Amino acid sequence: MTMAANTRSRTLDPANLDPLQRWFARAVEADRVEITRADLLSGGAVQENWRIDASIHGGPRAGTNALVLRTDAVARLPMSLDRPREFACIKAAHGAGVLVAEPIAECADKAVIGAPFTVQRLLSGTAQGRRITRDPKLGEFGPALAREIGAQLARIHTIRPPHEALAFLPLPEPDAAAAAAVAEMRSALDKATEPRPALEYVLSWLLAHKPAPRPVSLVHGDFRTGNYLVDGGRLTGILDWEFCHWGDPREDLGWFCARCWRFGNDALAAGGIATRADLLDGYNAVSDAPVTENELAFWEILGAARWAAIALLQGQRFLTGGERSLELALTGLMPAEMEFDALEAIAALEAGRPIA
Amino acid sequence: MTARRIDADALLDLATEMLRADVLPALPPEQRYAGAMIANALEVARRALAEEVEAAEWALLDSLYEEGEGSTTQLARDIRSGTLPEGKVRHLANDLRTLLIAELRVRNSRFLASRGIGG
Repeated sequence: MTMAANTRSRTLDPANLDPLQRWFARAVEADRVEITRADLLSGGAVQENWRIDASIHGGPRAGTNALVLRTDAVARLPMSLDRPREFACIKAAHGAGVLVAEPIAECADKAVIGAPFTVQRLLSGTAQGRRITRDPKLGEFGPALAREIGAQLARIHTIRPPHEALAFLPLPEPDAAAAAAVAEMRSALDKATEPRPALEYVLSWLLAHKPAPRPVSLVHGDFRTGNYLVDGGRLTGILDWEFCHWGDPREDLGWFCARCWRFGNDALAAGGIATRADLLDGYNAVSDAPVTENELAFWEILGAARWAAIALLQGQRFLTGGERSLELALTGLMPAEMEFDALEAIAALEAGRPIA
Repeated sequence: MTARRIDADALLDLATEMLRADVLPALPPEQRYAGAMIANALEVARRALAEEVEAAEWALLDSLYEEGEGSTTQLARDIRSGTLPEGKVRHLANDLRTLLIAELRVRNSRFLASRGIGG
């Protein structure tokens, strides 16, 4: 048999850039656009990211522009936004002063490159979690980086409903953001062919220990090390907005600190780069609704459960979705890790100990 | 029949398929025999692995249900609906932890080591 495994179908064809060049010239009010580079970037199990260099002739953006083009993938996770909706969230964040790649243009017409896509300015830096958390200078820049990240997160959380441009995001009941998150995970479990009793146990625990609600805000939904860019120890931008939703702002803080996103730097709970206190210092300096370290435990457990549910769904794409990808299969093996961390955290809390 | 979960069998099946289709043809002739042996070894390992998890699952299920009558699907359902008898719930978290350790021994033993649990 021929081997289709691990070969993701690609939308943009670097040998046929004319349609994209014509569309982009119209989008940026230019006389002509010449694309001199189109490289598929690594990463992105959910969508494709292309590095594009464009020479823009005429119009307000004339000159050489380094850009990122992002498409919708062949298959999306049920909870992820399609590209135009993600773009609306990015525009809202940009408008709120969040450090994000400038949103430039969006295209819903599948005829241009084969899928809807968006274009943003390319930012400098690396997003690779392992590189950031293993940087020999992490001890010097980590605490300040975490404070800056906390401050950016607080700015995202200033975006609150009602918000006309984000009216497509479903609004949870005012006191039910945690319950809605659990319901979404149960729905993921219901779609999976593999029963996960430990995850069910964690979800039942979460429902029984819901904290007092906070006002709903925009939640990034995948705010973690690996989804922000760092250049020379400084934050240059927040990436990957496809899991944005209205929810409890503490969900983002818990996801950032969840043990599964520390890249082996276990003692540095804030994303493997600094302490929870550093992250919250930055957050609370900007937020009008301060958060304490004690509040994070529930949301870190919820974060672990959520990653377990997502990993389970990724595995389903391999099992039943016809995608013969080793990457998806290996992700599908991961729920046990997050379930284990969640059970350990629950046991610690019930014994009156702080969680790891 | 479609597999219900990603187990060692499904994973090794795909890895062996990729090895045979993508890697072996690209190897220089003098290394092809070694490559073919690796593919055979993977197929043998595939048959041997998944049994430990199944044994741990049955141990847990038999402690909660009449012997041979439980299933992980039933257990997941009963946990969600809160219908497990009180006396059986007491040790549930610990029993689930034991099951996860058995699963992780096959899936990712390095993760267990990172959490202070040896092989």
